[in-house]
Amino acid sequence: MMLWRQFVMEWRLYSRDRVAMFWTFAFPVILLMGFGTIFRDGGGPKLSLVRVQAPVPSARDTALDQALTDLQLKVQTLPKAEAEARWARGETAAQLETEGTGYRLRLNSYLMAQAGATAGLVNQAWLVAQARLNGEPEPQRIPIQVESPGHKHSTNYASFLLPGLLGLNLVSMGLFSVGMVNVSYREKGKFRRLAVTPLPKWIFLLGQVLHRLTVTVIQAGILLLVGRLAFGIQNQGSFLDLLLIMTLGTGCFMAFGFALSGFAETSEGYAAISNLVFFPLMMLSGVYFTLDSAPAWLQHAVAVMPLAPFLRALRAVFNDGGTLAGHGVGLAIVAAWGCAAFALAVRRFRWA
Amino acid sequence: MSDPALRIRGLRKAFPKVVAVDGVDLEVARGEVFGLLGPNGAGKTTTLEIIEGLTEADGGDIEILGLTWAKQGQEIRARIGVQLQSTSLFNKITPRESLDLYGSYYPKRRSTEDLLDLVQLQEKADAYHITLSGGQQQRLALALALVNDPELVFLDEPTTGLDPQARRSLWDVVRRMKSEGRTVMLTTHYMDEAEALCDRLAIMDHGKVIATGTPASLIAELAIPSVVELTFDGAAPDPAAFSARLDQPVECRADLWEIPTPDPKALLPRLLEAAEAAAVPFQQVHIRRATLEDVFLHRTGRSLRE
Repeated sequence: MMLWRQFVMEWRLYSRDRVAMFWTFAFPVILLMGFGTIFRDGGGPKLSLVRVQAPVPSARDTALDQALTDLQLKVQTLPKAEAEARWARGETAAQLETEGTGYRLRLNSYLMAQAGATAGLVNQAWLVAQARLNGEPEPQRIPIQVESPGHKHSTNYASFLLPGLLGLNLVSMGLFSVGMVNVSYREKGKFRRLAVTPLPKWIFLLGQVLHRLTVTVIQAGILLLVGRLAFGIQNQGSFLDLLLIMTLGTGCFMAFGFALSGFAETSEGYAAISNLVFFPLMMLSGVYFTLDSAPAWLQHAVAVMPLAPFLRALRAVFNDGGTLAGHGVGLAIVAAWGCAAFALAVRRFRWA
Repeated sequence: MSDPALRIRGLRKAFPKVVAVDGVDLEVARGEVFGLLGPNGAGKTTTLEIIEGLTEADGGDIEILGLTWAKQGQEIRARIGVQLQSTSLFNKITPRESLDLYGSYYPKRRSTEDLLDLVQLQEKADAYHITLSGGQQQRLALALALVNDPELVFLDEPTTGLDPQARRSLWDVVRRMKSEGRTVMLTTHYMDEAEALCDRLAIMDHGKVIATGTPASLIAELAIPSVVELTFDGAAPDPAAFSARLDQPVECRADLWEIPTPDPKALLPRLLEAAEAAAVPFQQVHIRRATLEDVFLHRTGRSLRE
C-alpha cells in the first residue's frame, strides 16, 4: 500500500515535469528515425577498396580490376594524390596500388575488421585474374558474405539499432538520471523530511524502480511502434521474453545508479563517478571491439560484466527470435549485479 | 506517564572545525512547550537533529517518550512530529497531496482536511508547492509535522523569515498543539517568541546550556528587573562621560543607550537631571521590564542578535 502510493506519487511528479517527460520519450524515437533514415538503403554494409589509378593500366591491371568487381567488392578508383590524401585522413580501410611488376595492398590498422576481410577478397580476385590471364580454369573459391548477426530477418540497419537504443536508454536512465536525481534531492534537503518519517528506505527505492520500469516499458512500446510503422521492424522473439529482459536490465542498471548516488555528495561529483563507471562498462562490454588480445585476467573480468550479456540476450530475442533459455548464465550475471548493487544501495543510501 | 517526554544526558557532537554540542543535559516534561533559545551557531539545530535521529551524536544518552534510537527507532519516528529548519518539498506537489502522502507513512494519522483547516491552507490546498508564499510553506511544514498525531513535536526555528502577521498565526498553531496535550520542543533566536510560547527554556551558547527555567524565573534571576532606554535620532553618542557622571553603567546600542536598574523610579530624576546638565540630545525615554535578551546579555556579555 505504501509502495503503491509511493509509485503513484513518482508518476504524478514525473508527469508534471512535461519537458523532461517529452524528451525521455521523444529522444530515442528521434535517434531511431534519424539513424534509420540515414542508413536506410542497407543490404548490409559492403566491403570497399580504394584502387589507386595506375598511370598506364596493363592487361593484368584490367583483369584484376574486373575480378575485383566480379567478387562484389565496392571499388573506388582514385588518382594517386587523391587516394593518398584519403588514406592520410584515415577514411580508407584498404588501398590497392600497382607497384612495379607487383601490387601493394595497404590495410588500415584502425579498421582491421573491414580491411582484413577486404584483403581476403583481393587475394581471391588476384587468383581469379591470374587464371583468366593464363587461360586456365578459374580457381574454386569460397564465397564471402558480409552479414550482421542482427540482420538475419531484416536487412534494415534500423532493426539492428532498435534493441541497442532500448538497451542504451535503460543504462543511461539507471546510471545518469536516477542517480543524479537522487543526489540532487539529497543535496537540496528533499530527503531529510522523509528521513524523520517511518518510511522504510527500501520502499522509497523500490517505488522509484517501479516507476522507472514503467517509464522504460512505455518508452520501449513507443520505439517498437515507431520502428514497425516507419521501418517495418518486427520483434522476432516473444514479447514476454523482451519484457523480462528489459525488466531485469532496468532493475540492474537502476540499482547501479542508486548505489553510485550513495558515494557522491554533490551533483557534480555524481557526474564524475557515473562516468567513471559508465565508460569501462561500455568499453569493456565487447560492444565496440573484441578483447581477444587483452590479458587473460581482463578477459575474465569482462566476461562477468553485466552490459554485454544483457545486450546479447536482448538482440538474440529481438533480432533473431531466440528464447531466454540459451542465455541463462548471461542473465544470471545481470541479475547478480543487480542484486549486489541494490544491496549496496540500501546500505549506502543516506537521506541527508 | 510520569516519564518525561524527553531526557538528554551529556550529549556531545563535534564537527571537524567546531564542537557543536558540548555536554547538553535537558529534560522536557510531557505537555509543556520547551524552547531552546540562542544565537545562530549556538548548537540548537544540531541538538534537535540528534534528537530527531538525523545526526548521530558522538556521545550522550537520549530517551524519547521512554524509547531509545538504538532499540526503537521506528517507533520513535512514528510517534514524533518534525518540522525542519527548511522543509524542501517537491515543487510540483500540492499541500493536499503532501499531507496525504506523508500521512500514508504512519500507522496513525490525522485527516488531511483537519490539518488544512488547522493551518488555514484550505484555499491553497490544490496549488503547487512553488506557488505558496514563505508563510504558507512554513504552515504546511507545521501541518506535516502533525500528520501522524504525534505526542512530541519538534519545531526548528518555525518563524524565521516570516512577517509579523504570519508569525502570530504560527504561534496560534503552536498554542493549539499545547492545548491538544502535545509536548512541543522548539528552537528560536527570537526572545519575544520564546517568552510568548514557552513554558520553559534552555538558553544555549557555544554548544552549552547556560541557563534553564521558565521565562519569568530567568528574568527574575536578574538583579536588574528594569531597563531605562534613551533613544536618539540617529546613532547614539559615546556614553562613557555620561556613565561616569551618572555613576551607573550605560550600554550603547545603535540608536539608544540602555541603563539597567533595579529601581527605575529612583534612577529617573537623577538621569534626566544629568542628561540636562550634559546636554545629551536624546529624543525619548522608555522604561521597560528586563527581557530574555537582557538575560542572555547578562550571561554571555553578548547580544542575541550579534
